Amino acid sequence: MIIQATGLTKAYQSKVAVNHIDLAVERGSLTALLGPNGAGKTTTMSMLTGLLTPTAGTIQMTSDTKISMVFQQSILDDQLTVKENIMIRSRFYQQAVHEIDALIEKVGLNDFINQKYSSLSGGQRRRVDIARALINQPDVLFLDEPTTGLDIQTRSAIWNLLHSLQHDTRLTIILTTHYLEEADNADEVYIIDHGKVIASGSAAKIKNDYATNRLTIITNDAQQLMKLIPERIPHTQDNQKVICLPADTQAALNLLEKYRQYIVTFDYQNGTIDDAFLKLTGREMR
Amino acid sequence: MFALTKRNLLLYFRNHTGVFFSLLGAMISFVLYVIFLKETMISSWQQVPNSRQLLDFWLIGGTLSVTAITTTLSSLGQLVRDKERGVIKDFYLTDISRFKMKVSYMLSAAIIGFLMQLIMLAIMLGYFAATDNLVIPWSKTPAVLGLAFLSALLSVVINMLFVQFISRFDSLGTIESILGAASGFLVGTYIPIGGLPYFAQLLIKFTPGSYVAALYRQIFMNDPLTNAFHGQQGHFEKIMGVKIAWQHLLTGNQTIELLIAAFIIGMLVLLLTELIRSQKRNKVTDFE
Repeated sequence: MIIQATGLTKAYQSKVAVNHIDLAVERGSLTALLGPNGAGKTTTMSMLTGLLTPTAGTIQMTSDTKISMVFQQSILDDQLTVKENIMIRSRFYQQAVHEIDALIEKVGLNDFINQKYSSLSGGQRRRVDIARALINQPDVLFLDEPTTGLDIQTRSAIWNLLHSLQHDTRLTIILTTHYLEEADNADEVYIIDHGKVIASGSAAKIKNDYATNRLTIITNDAQQLMKLIPERIPHTQDNQKVICLPADTQAALNLLEKYRQYIVTFDYQNGTIDDAFLKLTGREMR
Repeated sequence: MFALTKRNLLLYFRNHTGVFFSLLGAMISFVLYVIFLKETMISSWQQVPNSRQLLDFWLIGGTLSVTAITTTLSSLGQLVRDKERGVIKDFYLTDISRFKMKVSYMLSAAIIGFLMQLIMLAIMLGYFAATDNLVIPWSKTPAVLGLAFLSALLSVVINMLFVQFISRFDSLGTIESILGAASGFLVGTYIPIGGLPYFAQLLIKFTPGSYVAALYRQIFMNDPLTNAFHGQQGHFEKIMGVKIAWQHLLTGNQTIELLIAAFIIGMLVLLLTELIRSQKRNKVTDFE
C-alpha cells in the first residue's frame, strides 16, 4: 500500500464536495476515479496531493514518496518553448531526472521540442504536461482528466504512454476520468457520485456486480424455449426473440449449448461500465 | 529559486507590448508635467537661478520613484496570473518553499523595476538635455544605481504585502489603475508637498516612495541648490520635498536608514504571513 485515505471529507459552506471517501492504492497500480462532472473527483485528488486541506479524515502515504501531478488545465507557459518549459521546471527540484533528453525521447516530444507551448495541439500539450510531471521521477503520478477533450487516437496514445510508464518504472498512477470506457484500463476503479464512493473494485468486478450481460436468442419456438430456461436466469420474450440476462459468459455458453436445437441465431453483449453506472445511480452519466 | 526568477523575467520581456505599456504608464507623470505644469512652476520660482534645470531634476526624482512603484506592481501581476491559472499549484508540488517562491517573484519584479527606472532616467535626461541643456555629472552614477536598486526592492516589498492576498487578475487591474493615478500625488511628483494641506502632507509622509523621491532629488540637486541658495536652501527643500520634514528636515543618511528599516519590516511581515499560512496547512502523514 502506498497511499491510504480514510474518511476523507471536504465540506464548503454551501455543500459537501467529498463525503467520507476511503481509498487504498497499491504500489505500481493504476487507479481510476470515475464519475460525472462535479462528483468530487478533482477535490479528492487535490486532497491526496496535499494541495487542499481535508475538513476531516486522514491520508497516509509511505514516507519519502515523491508525487507529481498533471493538472486538468495547462500549467506550462505559452510564451516559452517546450524545452524551456521543461528545463526551467527541472530546476525547481533538488533531485530532477538526470537524463532530460531521455525523458523527452520517451514521452515523444522531439518533433516539437523547440516550438512554443502555445503553438502545440491538444495532444502534444498533454504529452508535454506528462513529461513535465515526470521530471522529479515520481513514485505516484496523479492525472486529473488527462484525456478530456482529446480525440480518440490521441486518447489511446496517451493511454499507451501511461501503460508503458506503469509497466517500465512501476509507477503508481491515479487518474480521474469521466469516460466510462477508460475505466477498463484500470486495476482499481472507484465510482464517485455526489462526493461518495458508490462502487469500487476492478473494472471486471464492477461490471460483474452491477452490469448485466445480455444474450438475445432468435428462435423458431419462442414459447417452448421460454418454458425451458430455468427461473434463476431472468428472461423475457419479444416475438421471435428471447432475451436472457445470464450472470457471466459461462452461463451464457451453457445456455446456448443446452438449447442449441431451438436457436436460429444469437447475439451476446457483455455488460459495460455504462450499465453499472446506470444501475448504481439510476441515470446516464452523459 | 533563481529558475523561477529567470522564468518570470523571460515571460515579462517576451511580452513586448506589455513592456511598452509598462513604460508608457511610467512616462505619464513626465508627459503631464511637461505639457501642463512646467511653465507654471518655473514662473513661481523665477527668482531662483537655474530654476528650469532645478525643476527638471525635481521632476525626474519624483517620476523615478513612481516608476519603481508602478512597474514592480505590474510585474508582480505574474504571481496573480499564476494563481488564477492554477500554475502556482504546480509550483507548490515542487521542492521550492512557499517563501522562496514569493522571494523569486519579488526578485524578478525588483530587477524589472530597477531596469525600468534606468530606462526612464535615460529617456528623461535625453529630453531635458535637448530642451534645457540638463546634465548630470558621471560621478553621481553609483549613487543613482544604488538608489534605483533600493527603491525597486522597497517598492516590491510594499506591493507584495497587498498582492499576496490577490488571486484575481481583474482585481489587480483595479488596484493598478488606482495606484497609477494616486502614486504621482502620494509621492509628491505633480504638486510640491509644501503647497498641500496638512492631511495631504501627512499622507505623503506615510508613503515610502516620497522618501525615495527625496533621495533622488538630493543626489541630483544638492550641488546646484547650494550654488543657487548659497547654503540657505532649507526652505526650498522643505516645500519641494527634497528633504522630508519630521521634527526637523531628515538628512540623507536618516532617510536611507528609514527606507532600509521599512524594507526589513516589510520582509518580516511577509515571512510572518507565510508562517501563519503554513500553520493552517495540514500535512499528509506517513505510514507507521
